[in-house]
Parts: sequence; C-alpha cells; structure tokens
Amino acid sequence: MINSIKSFRLLVLLALVSLTACAASTVEVQGSYPSPNVPPLPLTLGVYYSDDLRNYIYTELSDTGKEEYLVAAGNTHMELFNTVLPAMFSQVVVLNNPTEAGARGVDAVFMPQIDEFQLGMPQKTRLDAYEVWIKYNMRMTGADGSYVADWVMTAYGKSTQGNFTSAERGINDAAVAALRDLASNFSISFRAVPDIRDWLSRQQLQLSGN
Amino acid sequence: MKIKNKCLTLARQRFWPGLWLVLLAALSACTSTTIDEFRQAETGLNTGETVVILGRRQGAGYETAADFVQCVGDRMARGRDGLNVVPEQQFVDALFPWFEPRTAPLRSDDLQQLMAQPMVSDKMNEFGVRYIVWLDGQTETSNRMGSISCTVGPGGGGCFGFGSWEDDSSFEARVWDVSSNLAVGTISADASGQSYMPAVFVPIPLIARVEANACNSLADQLKQFVQGG
Repeated sequence: MINSIKSFRLLVLLALVSLTACAASTVEVQGSYPSPNVPPLPLTLGVYYSDDLRNYIYTELSDTGKEEYLVAAGNTHMELFNTVLPAMFSQVVVLNNPTEAGARGVDAVFMPQIDEFQLGMPQKTRLDAYEVWIKYNMRMTGADGSYVADWVMTAYGKSTQGNFTSAERGINDAAVAALRDLASNFSISFRAVPDIRDWLSRQQLQLSGN
Repeated sequence: MKIKNKCLTLARQRFWPGLWLVLLAALSACTSTTIDEFRQAETGLNTGETVVILGRRQGAGYETAADFVQCVGDRMARGRDGLNVVPEQQFVDALFPWFEPRTAPLRSDDLQQLMAQPMVSDKMNEFGVRYIVWLDGQTETSNRMGSISCTVGPGGGGCFGFGSWEDDSSFEARVWDVSSNLAVGTISADASGQSYMPAVFVPIPLIARVEANACNSLADQLKQFVQGG
C-alpha cells in the first residue's frame, strides 16, 4: 500500500516535471516610456482600452506547431498611452465604456487596437536580433460616438541577440523598442492624419467661437 | 590621415610545449587603424558647453552598437582635459520623440527645423549641447578558418586545433554644431585585425582588439576636433 502511494506520488511528480518542461515561456512585456516633448492640444480626450487590448497575448508557435512563447503586451500598451496622451492633450480621462464619454465631458474618444503582432526570432530569421512588428488600428469618435478618424499605424523594434542572456529578455526589449517607435510616430504624426487634421480645424472653429 | 598599428607582445612567458604556435600567432595578432578627418568649419568649446554622442539606427541592415557609442563617449570624457559628454540614453529620453530611429534628423538642415521648436531648443539649452556627434558604422567578422575539438574522458580532457578570423570595423562620426545648425566635419575610423585561437590542451584566445582600437582612435580625434585643436 505504502509502495503504491509512493509510486503514485512519483508518477504525479514526473508528470508535473514533464508538463513544466513542455510549457511555453510567458513574457510579460515591461518597459518605461518617456513623455513626448510636443505642444499639448487644448482638448479633453477620453481613452477607452478594450478588453482585447487590456488582455492582449501573442502566441509564438514553434516549427512543430507547439506554443513556444506567450507575449503578454496589454498592460505595457496601457502604460505607454497613459504616458503619451497626457503630454499630447490638456486633459485625459480613462473611460470604462465609450458610452460614458458624454457624461464625462470629453471632446473625443480614442480607442487603440492591436490588429497584428509578429515576432522574429534569431533561430528562425537567421539574423542576430529579436524583432517585433505591431500593426494597430487607431479609432477616434466624437463624444456622441460619431466618426472622427480611423487609421492604421505600424511599429517596429529590434534588439541585438548578443546583448541578451535569455530569449525572454530579447523579446521584451524588442517589444519595448517597438512601443517607443509607436509612441514617437504617434505623437508626431497625430495632427497630420487627414481626418484628425480636419476635425482639429473644426474644433478650432468651435473653440474660437465661430 | 593617421595610421596606427598595434601588435600583441608575449614577453616574459615561460616556454612550454606549443609555445611556438602561440608566439607565431601573437606576432601576427595586430590591428591596423586608419583615421580620416574632414573639417568644414572652425570649432571650439566654451565653459559649460557639452557634447552628445548618438548612434545612427535608422538602417535596416545594421545599427550602430550602443556599446560603441558609450565607449567613444566615455573615452572623450576621460582624463584631465575630458569633455562634458551627455549620456546617449539620457539625451534621447529627455528629447523624446525627436531623436528616435524613425524621427531623428538625418541632415544638419533638419536640425534647424527641429531647433525652431521651443520645447526642443529649451531642452538643448538645459543640457548645454554645443555639438551633436552622429556615429554610424559596425564591426564585421569574416574569413573564419580552422576548427578546435575538445574531448573529455575518465583520465581528463583537452582541446586541440586552431581557429582564426578577421574583424573589420568601419565607423564614421559626423559633427553638427548646434549653435549654428551646421555640419562642421566628419571623422572616419577604419580598423582591421586578425584574431587567433590556438588550442593545445586549453584554447588560448589571441584577440585583435579591433573595435576597441577604433573607439579609442576615433574618440581621441573627435576630442581634438571639437576643441578646435
């Protein structure tokens, strides 16, 4: 009886060890992002982070189709936008639901979304770097939900393999570099998006009372 | 143009089996560095003025290594006549998003437009930046030859064989004067050297310090250049 319990425990332990060995590595992307030096727009912006963005996880599969790396990038995106947007607008309000916009007195609602995430691993690309590409869909509506703008943005980041002791760190730093690229491009080109430019000129008319 | 040659020396080594191999390799483990300078305007640094060294990273094929940029900055800041060098990451973060790989000014004309923005010029004044130095280049390894095999057995282990490779560093430093928004000169550094790895029981790396020599030579020349020497 005792022997059979011992054997059972051993089997469970072996099963756990083998499960751990097969489990995919999870990379919770962590980084810090500087605040952009751009003149702020005199507007109150509502920002809505959908559950898709908040809980975004990219799964990298191995050549045999097994889950190799899980890249959790939702939180770091929220940190990025929470740093960048307050520098670009005089006031920013995080909304739990876009329908709150009217009651919260915002001028517009911004809704970022990740459309596509790609990871380049050195062993697959034969390059000496980890690479991350991210494609975004940026949407902006009026406080009443009316269309303001809908545009696509891409971001790219890489980190040299030689600098890292682990693949997890390489993936993390490439993702952070891609997010910095997004932040720089977004904060500089925001006013140049044609629909945003038109909307801003209309807002300017309203602000000046014409 | 300046050409420097540096060779490793193996003095005061005890003779032991295989030393002839090591000696042969050491005698050949040299680096050769060539420095070229092109000056477009007068330079000079006043008290309190600083220099920032930045790496070019907008290319797809390669990026200037942060380690090399730091090496040049550290070397320029060292010594009794060391300059005030602003660390790259600190500068890039403070001026975010204007010096990121995708947004950084590529020509000195772009600097003029950038400096027209009050937030940028205020930060530049805060750091006291007089010169921006853009470093662009990389080190490539080629001509790998030979092989080393190692074995481990009950009675011990050891390695035997011979390997060699060639390193080529090619870097260019473009100097912009922030006070006039003009390019004031270019300094290029090319260094090459052959490294060897003879293995008789244990591998003995005889590395040609190509990138380190390129860094030191470029930094010394840059230091003289911005001081107007």
